[in-house]
Amino acid sequence: MKILIVGVGQVGYFLCERLSLEGHEVTLIDSSQEHLNRASDRLNVLGIIGNGASAEVLEQAGIKDADIFIAVTDLDEVNILACLLAREYQVPTRVARVKNIEYTSQSAVLSKEKLGIDLLINPDDAVAEEIVKIACRSGSFDVAEFVEGQIQFLGYRISEESPLCNLTLKELGEIRGIYRFVVTAICRSGQTIIPRGDDSIKAGDSIFIIAHKKDLPSIQYLLQQKDAKPKRAPRVFILGGGNIGLHIARELEQMGFTVRLIDKDEKRCEFLCGKLKRTLVINTDGTDIRTLLDEGVDGADVFIAVTDNDETNILCSLLAKQHGARRSLTLVNKPELLNLAPSLGIDACISPRQAAAGTILKYVRRGGVISLAAIEGSNAEVMEILVKADCGIIDTPLRKLHFPDGAIIGAVVRGETYEIPTGDSQLQAGDRVVVFALPGALAKTERFFE
Amino acid sequence: MNILVTLRIQGALLLFLAAALLLPVPFSLYYADGAAVSFVTSASVALVTGILLFKGCRGSMELSVREGFAVVTFGWLFYAIFGALPFVLSGAIPSFLDAVFETMSGFTTTGSTILTTIEGLPESILMWRALTHWLGGMGIIVLSLAILPMLGVGGMQLFKAEVPGPTADRLKPRIQDTAKLLWGVYVLLTMVEVLLLMFGGMNFFDALCHAFATLATGGFSTRNASVAAYDSAYIDWVITLFMFLAGINFSLHYHALRGKLGGYFRNEEFLSYLAITLGGTALLVYLNHGTVYASLADNLRFSAFQATSILTTTGFATADYELWPVMAQYLLVFLMFIGGCAGSTGGGMKVARVLLLFKHVQVQLFKLIHPKAVRLVKLGDTPVDRDVMQSILGFFALYMGVFVVASFLMAATGMDLVSSGGAVIATLSNIGPGLGTVGPVDNFAHVPTFGKVVLTGCMLLGRLELFTVLVLLFPSFWKK
Repeated sequence: MKILIVGVGQVGYFLCERLSLEGHEVTLIDSSQEHLNRASDRLNVLGIIGNGASAEVLEQAGIKDADIFIAVTDLDEVNILACLLAREYQVPTRVARVKNIEYTSQSAVLSKEKLGIDLLINPDDAVAEEIVKIACRSGSFDVAEFVEGQIQFLGYRISEESPLCNLTLKELGEIRGIYRFVVTAICRSGQTIIPRGDDSIKAGDSIFIIAHKKDLPSIQYLLQQKDAKPKRAPRVFILGGGNIGLHIARELEQMGFTVRLIDKDEKRCEFLCGKLKRTLVINTDGTDIRTLLDEGVDGADVFIAVTDNDETNILCSLLAKQHGARRSLTLVNKPELLNLAPSLGIDACISPRQAAAGTILKYVRRGGVISLAAIEGSNAEVMEILVKADCGIIDTPLRKLHFPDGAIIGAVVRGETYEIPTGDSQLQAGDRVVVFALPGALAKTERFFE
Repeated sequence: MNILVTLRIQGALLLFLAAALLLPVPFSLYYADGAAVSFVTSASVALVTGILLFKGCRGSMELSVREGFAVVTFGWLFYAIFGALPFVLSGAIPSFLDAVFETMSGFTTTGSTILTTIEGLPESILMWRALTHWLGGMGIIVLSLAILPMLGVGGMQLFKAEVPGPTADRLKPRIQDTAKLLWGVYVLLTMVEVLLLMFGGMNFFDALCHAFATLATGGFSTRNASVAAYDSAYIDWVITLFMFLAGINFSLHYHALRGKLGGYFRNEEFLSYLAITLGGTALLVYLNHGTVYASLADNLRFSAFQATSILTTTGFATADYELWPVMAQYLLVFLMFIGGCAGSTGGGMKVARVLLLFKHVQVQLFKLIHPKAVRLVKLGDTPVDRDVMQSILGFFALYMGVFVVASFLMAATGMDLVSSGGAVIATLSNIGPGLGTVGPVDNFAHVPTFGKVVLTGCMLLGRLELFTVLVLLFPSFWKK
């Protein structure tokens, strides 16, 4: 497929990387030679210098035969204008990154239909939503929802006290009788594997499970350390009052959390205060631990660091943890730092580009992929796939099919019911399947369901 | 200070007054009360003076902030002086100073009177008293803005200087249209009340006078015993309802008439106003229970009427609250200070200011516990501008200051402590009846001359919300 990407920032670069690795023909447009060089030197893509909103540049980049057009520059107006141009060139799929809420809200005068954009993506919103999901789901560090939230994909860190520590999957299967879930992956020192029966879970691992929503309470009971659950509303500290921090604070205060939002700019604090209802806005630095302790950071259930500086985020998260915050969620922009989190003791690192790219990739892929999530620090993905009537894999036990290595089916949802698949399970047309796939198996998995 | 333009606008305003002075003439002819000549004479005087000022003072029509204050303050003074003419000419109030007191009380919707008997007066004079309320209620400047195109430039200055409350709402981009809408709502509510009162057995003349006095939160009645003279529960409740409506921001009525009823309940000031009215009534019912009123229906009727009348600063009376328990009286004094909502016809400090003041104190206390926390005072969901908050603090201090100084001056005339304090708050908050010798069944006739001057000043200060008037006292105001 021919893909045109305008703007090679964080999101653009990540998309290029993923899409070119999957064998697509990617052309990049950016106005900065330096950015282009960074991408075209390392990735197998063609770079064209120029303004993404100029018809001449777009034609030079071959927009006439493009199948997918993705505009992800930092400027909303450029992205929207570029997409309008792409519509004139009849590009079938058009995606734009838009930060301004005016365009993304439901009641927008210029809706995405009118603008001719198939997907409007706001990375700040995407990452804020993800952090909110993780903050609500105590104990897990990664959450994705599939099949309208029925099936949940959760990541857990295993500590030495965990009841799962040092169990093999076979042993786990015996306890599992009452707990219905699939361990789809184990992540150990940067390596992600799909475990087999004799693999065991070790302290320090991250495990990823797929389970149905209604089984979650009992699973969480199994996976959590025996903490005395406090009766009070969960207390959340948010460091950084940018758009992401504001978005998170607004959602969490609505859910009844006690929210403290910290920002070091006084004017910004006043602005935030005007936008929020119950959140306590504190004007101080993230390292001013004395003030934070006065406000009760030692009893915090979650500490969320979302300033625009990765180092600040990581350091302040560690500081808060050291002073007794139970969990810390950290926004990390630089991919190099993303894998650092588990070893440092940060509970979850969230990257805006992954959140945004996940949403974009789901649109861009062919086939029946309905929904998709990328996993922190690895290129593995979870996909929700619709089984089509003509795909040739229906009504046959799974063991007889050549299901690709490096991929695993976590759940099969059929109408109102769902099952954890075994070798005897048979797929039917209209089933929605949640599949976990390592990077190497992505393409094969998609082809399997074609 | 551009004195020429100020005087020129005074001329235009006087032309209005001349027209208004002719309105009672048909009543005079209908009832053959013999006062028609005095109205025509007064109107002529106003007309001639108006034309002289308007034609004589030419110059640039630029209105700055300063001229706005001067135009409004002098406009109200001129109105009180020229509006007093019919009282003097008809012989209803022989003393000119008394007549100015009565007219100022009318235009500022205070409702304090120096008349001992009202029922014997010519009908047209009673109508003029009610009319002064009605014209002053929504604001004479706002009315002029609606009609006079020449005030279009810089009109917002005038509008802000006259409309009560910490900030002025603008319903339409053009200030003239905003003024027209507000007057439209005002006229509509007045007509509805006239019909409802007539339905309860009042004649058209009384219904009109009382509707004028209610919607303007004035308080002049056509009877010696005020509304109590009708002794009808229906009339009491109708007036209670309309006093309550008149104490609400008229912008909210406008939105409600356009079908957005929810606007009331999204407005924090209205909700507080409602809570104060209901809470005050409930407390009065509790305090009066068993001691003053035997039946609950009577208790509720009189307590609700008095609470609403005092809170909205109307000042109608159906009961002598000085016979009520001391605590009930104390509660009413508290309500006297609060007053109606911003943008209503009511006086007092306004619910919005009191509400914001309490919130400000709350934030200050909160900051003692959380020194680094940032907290804003909000009204509804909107943060209140720091300048507005500071002007409210200043207003509160000034209100108390004026109250103390004026009470002191009243005491200097030989009035007792309760009466002097009561008289000042009754006029400063534009209520009407006060406490002691100026209570709901008394009048202001016995107040010494100097006291009447002080109280007339209080009425003007209260109606124009202090700043507009007091800023004129600064010497630098008059310098270039």
